[in-house]
Amino acid sequence: MNIQTLLTPFARKPSKELLSKDRSTVRVGIPKVLNIWNTHQFWIGFLEGIGIKYTNIVFSSNTSEEQSREFGKGRGTVDCCYPVKAMSGHYGELIFGQKKKINVLLSPLIYSMPSSLQGHVVANNTCTRVMAGAENIKSGYMKEKDVFVENQIKYASPYCTLDDRIIVPQQLFDGLKDIFDLTYEETKKAVEIGFNALDTFNKKMQKQSMDILEQCAKTNKPCVLVIARPYHMDTGIGHEIETDLQAHGYPIVWMQYFPTDPTLMNWLFEEDIKEKQIKSPFDISDVWPSSYSSNTNEILWAAKIAARFPWITCVIRLSSYECGMDQPTFTPTQKIVENSGTLFFKFGDLDSTKPSGSVRIRVETIVHYVKKNSASIIEKKLARMKTQWPPVKAEALV
Amino acid sequence: MHNETQIDSRPLICGMDVGSTTCKYVLSTLDGEIISQFYERHNTKQAEKVLDFLGRLEREFGFSPQRDKIFFTGTGSGFIAPLVGGKIIQEVVAVAAAVEKMHPKVRFVSEIGGEDMKTIFFSGEGETKNKQVLMQAACSGGTGTFVEKTAKKLQITPEALGKMGYEGYTLHKVSSKCGIFAEADANTLLKAGVPVEEIIASLFEAVVYQNLASLTGGNTPYPQILLLGGPNLYFKGLQEAWRIHLMKIWKERGVVLPEGVPVEDLILVPAEAVYYGAMGCIEIGKGEVAKVAVYEGSAKLKWWIEEGQHEEKKKTGKQGLWSTVEELQNFMNEYSPENAPKQLEEQASGESCSAVQEFEIVNNELAAKIGTATVDEKGELHGLETTPAMLPAVTAAQTGNKLDRVIIGCDFGSTTAKAVCISPETKEIVFSCYALSKGNPIEDARALFREVKQALNGGKILGVGVTGYGKDLLKNIVGADCAVVETIAHATAGLHFFPDADCICDVGGVDVKIMILKNGTVSDFRLNSQCSSGNGAFLQGVAERFNIPLETMAEEAFKAGAMPILSMGCGVFLQSDIVNQQRKGWQGAEILASLCAILPLNVWIYAGGLNNLGSAGRKYILQGGTHKNLAVVKAQVDFIKSKVPDAEIVVHPYSGEAGAIGAAFIAADWYEEEGGKTEFKGFDIIEKLTYKTSTSPDTVCKWCPVNCQRTFIDVELPGAKGRTWSKVPAPEGWERVIVNNSCPKGLIEDASEVKVVKTEIERIKNEYPNIADSVRSEAFERVIV
Repeated sequence: MNIQTLLTPFARKPSKELLSKDRSTVRVGIPKVLNIWNTHQFWIGFLEGIGIKYTNIVFSSNTSEEQSREFGKGRGTVDCCYPVKAMSGHYGELIFGQKKKINVLLSPLIYSMPSSLQGHVVANNTCTRVMAGAENIKSGYMKEKDVFVENQIKYASPYCTLDDRIIVPQQLFDGLKDIFDLTYEETKKAVEIGFNALDTFNKKMQKQSMDILEQCAKTNKPCVLVIARPYHMDTGIGHEIETDLQAHGYPIVWMQYFPTDPTLMNWLFEEDIKEKQIKSPFDISDVWPSSYSSNTNEILWAAKIAARFPWITCVIRLSSYECGMDQPTFTPTQKIVENSGTLFFKFGDLDSTKPSGSVRIRVETIVHYVKKNSASIIEKKLARMKTQWPPVKAEALV
Repeated sequence: MHNETQIDSRPLICGMDVGSTTCKYVLSTLDGEIISQFYERHNTKQAEKVLDFLGRLEREFGFSPQRDKIFFTGTGSGFIAPLVGGKIIQEVVAVAAAVEKMHPKVRFVSEIGGEDMKTIFFSGEGETKNKQVLMQAACSGGTGTFVEKTAKKLQITPEALGKMGYEGYTLHKVSSKCGIFAEADANTLLKAGVPVEEIIASLFEAVVYQNLASLTGGNTPYPQILLLGGPNLYFKGLQEAWRIHLMKIWKERGVVLPEGVPVEDLILVPAEAVYYGAMGCIEIGKGEVAKVAVYEGSAKLKWWIEEGQHEEKKKTGKQGLWSTVEELQNFMNEYSPENAPKQLEEQASGESCSAVQEFEIVNNELAAKIGTATVDEKGELHGLETTPAMLPAVTAAQTGNKLDRVIIGCDFGSTTAKAVCISPETKEIVFSCYALSKGNPIEDARALFREVKQALNGGKILGVGVTGYGKDLLKNIVGADCAVVETIAHATAGLHFFPDADCICDVGGVDVKIMILKNGTVSDFRLNSQCSSGNGAFLQGVAERFNIPLETMAEEAFKAGAMPILSMGCGVFLQSDIVNQQRKGWQGAEILASLCAILPLNVWIYAGGLNNLGSAGRKYILQGGTHKNLAVVKAQVDFIKSKVPDAEIVVHPYSGEAGAIGAAFIAADWYEEEGGKTEFKGFDIIEKLTYKTSTSPDTVCKWCPVNCQRTFIDVELPGAKGRTWSKVPAPEGWERVIVNNSCPKGLIEDASEVKVVKTEIERIKNEYPNIADSVRSEAFERVIV
């Protein structure tokens, strides 16, 4: 089910008339780090919206030790968060490692994020360390002399609250007007294109997840849910641990793209709503009242999903070295998942090197239990459900 | 300079640098004329070396008490300086002072010592001149010891090492973080046929990388550069590595280099590189007031060496592994094998062979002796005089008909291979044996099965389970029915005897494994991967050095009424710490006691990363060969109870064989559930296994830039397809096992084989999708609206 990117002929391109400037030759580099991993399409859409050619949008490659060695060495600043530290390699790669030089390095300060739980939680803020990461890493390139100026690169770091779509145009206009010579109107339009792109992409991924879940239900086979922060999809941060499980024949769904289809949500949570435990399927106040952090909220929500969805028989929890945001969630997520009889395995303290030896042994261990226990876990969890899913279609009844 | 003797009548000033591996001194007049300088390795006898130096200075150069001055620097100077009236100057301050005096244009200094490394960045000029210092001394990565230790293992003399190069050699991946792991990496490379020159070049690479990665703190090392310390001076290859790395950084960062200046003038390695600390002492000392640091003679230092340090030993040492004989006796009552819980006794009642019983007998005897032991006024335990343990000769005949039908479990570990036979119905252990690993899984298997065959004497094999690093390759070759991952094998063996256990701690020869159990599954697993501290091989190595046999190690350790305090952590440094303690007069037994005492810290905190032990649970199983040593068990029990007061700690009745037993249990389950016919190939086929190994440029893995030097082991196996298409062809009837690859990709020989495998991977990926794959491939592509 490897779906190739299709360039659709119907892609809505910004009409040239709307643009105040020709920006078709401007090259923009974006470090592929942290929360770019779940706002990617917004930035591509936005940049295309202001007339940057798609081929001029450059993302750094996935994090790797080679990248840090080659481009980040000695640029490090003090930060205990590995995903933040790794950013210096990404900056370096964009500055020094491009055949065709970039003109702008765009590293946004994302204060809050769009989330499927929006409206059901207190706030959708990002980790402060992650948001400030851009500033922190920038300083490593300006400490002795301004490397950006030296390389004729404009450094752009707009502040934005992506969960509040109304004020994003103003924020990006303020943050980027001097960089791209923007008008407010074109910024607003581009923001709209960006959000559309992101929504479309998320829906597509949710649809793919839905296909997996339905297939599991149909064949009564297990799947694995990954509970992690978005950037653990970066092969140098999450170390592709879930891929090793996939190779043993288990489909993998990620919490970020778990379908929010009302029928499915209702099936999973209707009892809790009836019992007034929660107000909606996206309400996590029963397990996490201080729901301020977007990724953290989703982690707790995913634990609840895993505990309920019968064919998720195993949860893989990924966490980076000494993540302060993850610390308080370890016990609740594990308890929620394990109390339902679902298997739970945490890979904590991940940093630059993949501990291959222990990962291999752990994956084989996990596979042993998933193989041995999945049938009984599915059976046990199904017995708790009052109705059937996916609902039998009307024509099938005839 | 040292050899010329000239008694000087002018007042003198001496700078003495007492480092971790060498002592250095510089003697000068007050106006800066250098009279003599010298350095020598102290072989951990720092005080003795200083005394020796002072004697020479007095005799040969007229260095006089009450008139001349002496300043000290270096890690070992702390207790020595006050004994001779000297003043201590912090190392970095001393080095910086010398550098500022002699090389005002230097902007970056790297000083690599035996067990530490420092960098100094100078910025600004004149009044505004600033320096930033970074140093580390907690880990061997990046220090001189890191290179020397491995070179010694590779049997390279220090002279040869100094001449070895860096430039132009193929570099291999060597752990830059830990000296012990680097040694292991070097060993693997050597076995794979990599020339020692390339290995040493890779070590130089690792040292420079480690220094640049951890000790630059966001600063650029601008020219001029000064490289100081023994390793920088004596290792030609290290200098080359620095040059290449620095030139690359300068190029990347657009550092403008003065034209026409050769690189040797930008990166300086002065011939006096080892003396900068001592020279800095003199530089600073010259500015001190008259009464400071006046040399008082060496009498006190001499007294300290002869008597004082031994008195200090009593003051600084801590209690031994036990506080009262009663406490020790209580411990022995609980943990000696004969007092093991009833449930175990039933299990262990079968006449097992020597491998299992050996320690049991020794430990039972030890318990009996401790039961009647007394303590003398010095606090030492008496009554433990060794009597040779009488081991019963267990033969297959004695074990009778229990060996008629068995299930075999084998554990191919990193240092030993073990096998057990269990009875299929009762799961009773009826035979066990082990063979020291020869690094070739086929040889190990052959040795093991030879012993099993002899014991079985024609008995029937119903099933075979294998575990350990060699499990996958050996499954087909010996015809095992189950290949069991290590954790499951250990957990099965542990939970069989203690169904309510929360945590299994397995300390083996090289590995430390911690398995945390939840709901009967292994929910978390820790393996020491980047740091070797805390493993059993180290303990054994030290015991061997003191000529203490493995079996009586615990007995020796318990004899100690007091023990030195060793520092937790790096195994490389621990070795020099031991020598240091020995010098203070601590005896072998006391040092072993101390090593046993710090083992739990290294296991749980350093290797396991479990600062909050309570989170692992309250019932602990200790297993693995190292836990056959009751002194280690005592230390473990005391440590765990200090963290988790209501903890229950048990030692697995077959501590060293748990993996093999677990594999046997799982094979027994397979036999019971599937009732199938075993795939076991038979002793004769295993005995006759013919194999050949090849390591050549054709076996190098080309899948990624690491280019692992793999070894192909071809085993003759009836019915095997062979690999006639390979560059290293294997005819029909031969099965290939690929080893020394560092990732699963390396198990695929080359492009000819890849098609089949790739199709299979793609098939799995398509059949079992991973959403992250879609995100990785599509999220950063063009927008689809």
